[in-house]
Amino acid sequence: MAKNRAATNRRRNRAPKVDIKGWYRHHLMCARSALMGLIRQPISSALTWLVIAIALLLPTLFYIALQAINTQTQAWQEGGQITLYLNNTTTIDQGQALANELRARPEVSTVEYISKQQAWDSFRSVLSLQSALELDENPLPASIVVVPIEQSMADLEALILMLTDLADVEDIQIDLAWIERLNNVLDLIESIVQVLSIILATAVLLIVGNTIRLSIESRKAEIQIIKLLGATDNYVRRPFLYLGFWYGLSGGLAAWLLLTLISLNFQNQLDTFLASYGLTAPAIWLNVREFGILLLSSILVSLMGARIALWRHLKDTDPQ
Amino acid sequence: MIHFDQVSKRYDGGFEALSSLSFNIDKGEFVFLTGHSGAGKSTLLKLITAIEKPSSGQIRVDGIQLKTMNRRDIAFYRRKLGIVHQDHQLLMNHSVFDNVAQPLIVAGENPSDIKRRVHAALDKVGLLSREKFKPIQLSGGEQQRVGIARAVVKKPDVILADEPTGNLDPALSRDIMSLFAQFNDIGTTVLIASHDLGLIARLNYRVLSLKQGRMITSPFASGAA
Ligand SMILES: Nc1ncnc2c1ncn2[C@@H]1O[C@H](COP(=O)(O)OP(=O)(O)OP(=O)(O)O)[C@@H](O)[C@H]1O
Ligand SMILES: [Mg+2]
Repeated sequence: MAKNRAATNRRRNRAPKVDIKGWYRHHLMCARSALMGLIRQPISSALTWLVIAIALLLPTLFYIALQAINTQTQAWQEGGQITLYLNNTTTIDQGQALANELRARPEVSTVEYISKQQAWDSFRSVLSLQSALELDENPLPASIVVVPIEQSMADLEALILMLTDLADVEDIQIDLAWIERLNNVLDLIESIVQVLSIILATAVLLIVGNTIRLSIESRKAEIQIIKLLGATDNYVRRPFLYLGFWYGLSGGLAAWLLLTLISLNFQNQLDTFLASYGLTAPAIWLNVREFGILLLSSILVSLMGARIALWRHLKDTDPQ
Repeated sequence: MIHFDQVSKRYDGGFEALSSLSFNIDKGEFVFLTGHSGAGKSTLLKLITAIEKPSSGQIRVDGIQLKTMNRRDIAFYRRKLGIVHQDHQLLMNHSVFDNVAQPLIVAGENPSDIKRRVHAALDKVGLLSREKFKPIQLSGGEQQRVGIARAVVKKPDVILADEPTGNLDPALSRDIMSLFAQFNDIGTTVLIASHDLGLIARLNYRVLSLKQGRMITSPFASGAA
């Protein structure tokens, strides 16, 4: 019953038709006046978007470094090899068939089949123990040596997994342990970068949140008045959300500009420095996709900061 | 139009500003609300505008139980009211034009309509020549008239005015009252809080009198009779 009455109230109160044009006009007006507000107070707004830019720049630089190291490790993989020891029951024909099969795979560079006999021969020639060690039976297994092509660590791991699961394979020896160790270190650095990004995103959230809070406070009287004139919470929030949007956008653009400055100043030095160690320097640059992600995350985090500030402080602006 | 049923209002701190108030204002009525300073006139209007909530009792306006409204409902409800505040409540860093235009902007009206209607409203209160001024550049009475223009610009269903003539000279007061009367003639319900007893006596409308938060005239009888 009470619920029914509430529903009737709502129907009665609702504006007769949703005025899309008016709604759109207000968005435009809020976007424009929020931007004008930023431009009209260049110093105080610059403080906010500069801090956002710096907070974004740090993880971006780490990300670029990490990308660079990742591509280097692909080159370092070269020379690594995987040895598959086959079951004793596997015949020579089966072994060679398997080797051929592996050779046809795109992620594999070269494959060599070593029969039991070949292994025994090379063993004896190396150790010359012919007389001292007379065994009735050749104890060495047949094996296949696989050299993978350059590829990402994830692909390599997938390849190793596949090889391990082969029915004829008794044991697998990977000559890539050092790469794996390096990869563990990279994983560690990556998680550190992730944690850092989260911390800095939180910082951006707080900075924007605080800026918006101050803005709400300074316009408290104004908000109280327009609420009395029938402004909804959405209507009141809109200018502040646009403020958050512009802070995010300008912060993201400023981060990109700082990156460009760094690139202009240090790319040459980095190139010559790393070249003296025979290494190629990473380009201190973002591609279009990465640039988009930078801007988008800056805007999203800033909007979130604004939304949180509004959620915390909008109730204070109810008219009294 | 406006129904109070056993409404009491106790402010934080325990002061009871209104006690068990019951009355009824019909649609299209013109009613004065009087009483000494501190009698509870502003409190009563704040209850109707949902700025304050009653401590007990029920208020119904245009068939709507005010206490069943959520925040969004309250916003749309207020769009039907034209409120004149005792302390003007103008946007101090906006022009007179922008102040009067606010209710229309909030409602999403289109700019050419807004311009025409704001000019009409400013003309009615004699401030058309001041549309570009900021409120701070106006006298107290002029500011009050800006508030009045803002209250009537949307042709509200109900006009609620708290001391709308407090800062106006007798001639201007009469003009403002006849402005409200014009709206009343086309069906707008008008409730005006005032302690200008001379003005009230000259105009033959029903009067509700408050004394220390209680009604002292018969609430349902018409004072004009
Ligand atoms: N926000 C508040 N908190 C506590 N007490 C309040 C509050 N607002 C008003 N009061 C008290 O309620 C009583 C009625 O106040 P109200 O403003 O309704 O009087 P009024 O009739 O409008 O007086 P005036 O003619 O001076 O404007 C006063 O005694 C006042 O002290
Ligand atoms: Mg008062």
